[in-house]
Amino acid sequence: MNTPRFRIPILAVGFALLAASACETLQKGVGAIDAQSAKVQSVAKVAKQIRSTFADISEEEEYYIGRAVAANILSRYDVYNNEGLNLYLNAVGAAVAAYSDRPETYAGYHVLVLDTDEVNALAAPSGFIFLTRGLLKRCKDEDTLADILAHEIGHVCAKHGLQSIRKSRLTDAFKLLGEQAAQKYGPQELAQLTGVFENVLGDIAEKLIERGYDRKYEYEADELAAEFAARMRYDGGGLLDFLGTMAKDSTGSADKGWFKTHPGPQDRIGRVKGQVKTFMREKVRTDRFRAAFKGLK
Amino acid sequence: MRKPIRPAAVAVFWAACAVLLLAETVVVKIQSTVLRKEPKFYAQTLVNLRSGEKLEKLASQQGWLQVRTAAGAVGWVHESAVDTKSFNLLAMDKSMKTQASASEVALAAKGFNKQVEESYRAKHGNLSFVWVDRMLNIKVPAAELEKFLKAGRLAEFGGAR
Repeated sequence: MNTPRFRIPILAVGFALLAASACETLQKGVGAIDAQSAKVQSVAKVAKQIRSTFADISEEEEYYIGRAVAANILSRYDVYNNEGLNLYLNAVGAAVAAYSDRPETYAGYHVLVLDTDEVNALAAPSGFIFLTRGLLKRCKDEDTLADILAHEIGHVCAKHGLQSIRKSRLTDAFKLLGEQAAQKYGPQELAQLTGVFENVLGDIAEKLIERGYDRKYEYEADELAAEFAARMRYDGGGLLDFLGTMAKDSTGSADKGWFKTHPGPQDRIGRVKGQVKTFMREKVRTDRFRAAFKGLK
Repeated sequence: MRKPIRPAAVAVFWAACAVLLLAETVVVKIQSTVLRKEPKFYAQTLVNLRSGEKLEKLASQQGWLQVRTAAGAVGWVHESAVDTKSFNLLAMDKSMKTQASASEVALAAKGFNKQVEESYRAKHGNLSFVWVDRMLNIKVPAAELEKFLKAGRLAEFGGAR
């Protein structure tokens, strides 16, 4: 009987597998071990080690930040309440989001129309997207609308809102969060954290609503829009059309809305032109766009 | 005389050990999502998944992960819905695992949450969240998304350049 001869090599292979796995485990576990030993010294240190940048903000936290930013946007504008239009815009948004780099956020992507002639589009963290009636009136078809939504979804994917938060705020927040392990905050801790929350919202609102994101973020969102649109087979030329319309728009005021918060349209056209892919703008899309936009004031 | 161990049985045993050791757990990090039959957003829903639910990763494919739920259902989730910064099933001993999950839970439970929002809202009585909640209720079901894509000749249903 020769079976026992196989036992040693088989066992050796087994141990080798275990050893390889243990090495991988060890490598993956180094961060955890570091964190654990730091925890012994101070829970706060653990929190600081685990979370130090905007990228460490959890999906749930981003959602609560996004909700409050959205509430602040909605305190400045009325809502254009048109159920059919909202459903259509959300269908286009859901379709683009599904083919984006970040299809799922904590509570998904949602689009709402703001009732103003001002031209603007705003994307709050976690996927709260606002388009003004003034902007929608400058869209001529679904492909253009999808390209604009892809730009806004690009801001959410790249977390440009969260990147607007000053580093010192995050340091404050993460330090505070690591200090106690209670499931619920005590009054003093809650008051402190609410203060940090207000400052975080202030940082985002200043960029998003008042001054606009850094130019590099707008260019990045244009690049992402071109990419997402191509995945969808939407005509990326819609973005160029919209920017061209805005370049010729004489109604815009440089200190208001979109004109104030975005780089010049000609500059953006020049940068993104080489990246957009053109597709046929199907009639069926333009038809359903017109049906949904019928009656838009 | 002791019965000899069959080589095939030993190989199967070690293969099972290796699979178990290399198995990776991912955790649902968003409020809710679904396990899908295929790696597409409009694919048939198998089961609903909640935040914090642990899934065993079986394979990955262009941004999608094939996973198994604790109840044994196998399907697909998008990687943007799960946290992959988890440890191997046997990455640590029991005490370490307990400590790690305790700190994870402490951090996850804390942060900007509902309690902080309520405190913020109490301080800013003029802010309304009514439309924030209403916009969250505008949802596009998977079947509607598929219909929308098909009718519009988009993505894999798309037309020529």
